[in-house]
Amino acid sequence: MKRIDCLTAAARFISNQLVVTNNGGATVEWASVGPAESHLQVKTLGLCSSIGLGLALAVPSRTVVVFDGDGSLLMNLSTLPTIARQQPPNFVHVVFDNGVYEASGGTPTQTADGRAGADLAGLARAAGIASVQVATTAEAFTEQLRSALASPGPHFIHARVEPGRAKVPPMAVDEVENKYRLIRHIERSQGISILTRPRPASQR
Amino acid sequence: MDAPADAQLILRGIHEAGITHVASLPDINLVDLIDLLEQDDGLVHVELNREEEGVGIATGVYLGGGMPALLIQNAGLLNACNALTTTALAFEIPMLLLVWYAGHIGDNAFMRLGEVTEPVLAALGIRAFIPADAEAARVLLPKAATLSRMSARPVAILLTKSVIRRFAA
Repeated sequence: MKRIDCLTAAARFISNQLVVTNNGGATVEWASVGPAESHLQVKTLGLCSSIGLGLALAVPSRTVVVFDGDGSLLMNLSTLPTIARQQPPNFVHVVFDNGVYEASGGTPTQTADGRAGADLAGLARAAGIASVQVATTAEAFTEQLRSALASPGPHFIHARVEPGRAKVPPMAVDEVENKYRLIRHIERSQGISILTRPRPASQR
Repeated sequence: MDAPADAQLILRGIHEAGITHVASLPDINLVDLIDLLEQDDGLVHVELNREEEGVGIATGVYLGGGMPALLIQNAGLLNACNALTTTALAFEIPMLLLVWYAGHIGDNAFMRLGEVTEPVLAALGIRAFIPADAEAARVLLPKAATLSRMSARPVAILLTKSVIRRFAA
């Protein structure tokens, strides 16, 4: 299956969730099919699940969906026991495993056949995450994600996909605009104030 | 037994700074403070396995409306340099870095770490402050949080044995 097919299916029912995407194809593909306001791109390989965990802890009333990759998760395996220790019920961790470092030239990762064949779902279970699913078809993925969104997590979905990035436009916003766009969305949708400015000394 | 006064003063400063979430990895000198954080119902304590994760968690916390701090060693600060650069600085995220200053004068180990800590922070453009004692750290914490918010980047407070220590001299 292809990552873009999974993301296109997910975009049909992801609306109220906050979405954090790995620095790779998942970011531009999700940007082309999913809602923009609730989406954060990531620029540090490995960090998307950590950023998603922080969001989930800070906004417990919203579900956070992370679209991660195999190379990214392998770089930050320590995230798995950290998530397991926190047990955030509003956290769904999807890993699209294409077996390659797609954004940096296509070299195999250690999940690939002929390499270590590391089992990401097994690693998640061993780290202490109870809800772990494996998807090899877009239909199964869609059903697992729907089910994860409807029940308390944390959830981990290991989606095996073929390499290849859909022909989609680049991200429309840079890091800082993305930050403000997401914060303003959370302020509006949660009815809270995050970006407060101090009153000037002359007006106190 | 009550926690030592230095750990209690720093915890007070963390609350006075409006910190909502603290992500930590231990140093022996930080153990009393970490115990206090774990028992504190007034904030969320996240136990890390590697410091770079903490920069990500802090980023998510800030975007969600919290005010985050990391409590780590300077060895872990070096582990976190890419995340600090390509996440905290690139996305302009406020967070407090409470960093145990191994290898500083008065310490007897990790001298190479001590030598590079302040130059690395300076190279990252992260302002760093070294309070003289625990009370000075308490007073500094809310000011550092304001500086971090208003400058939209991390601010570091370096913790020496004059501020907090596990064993009496």
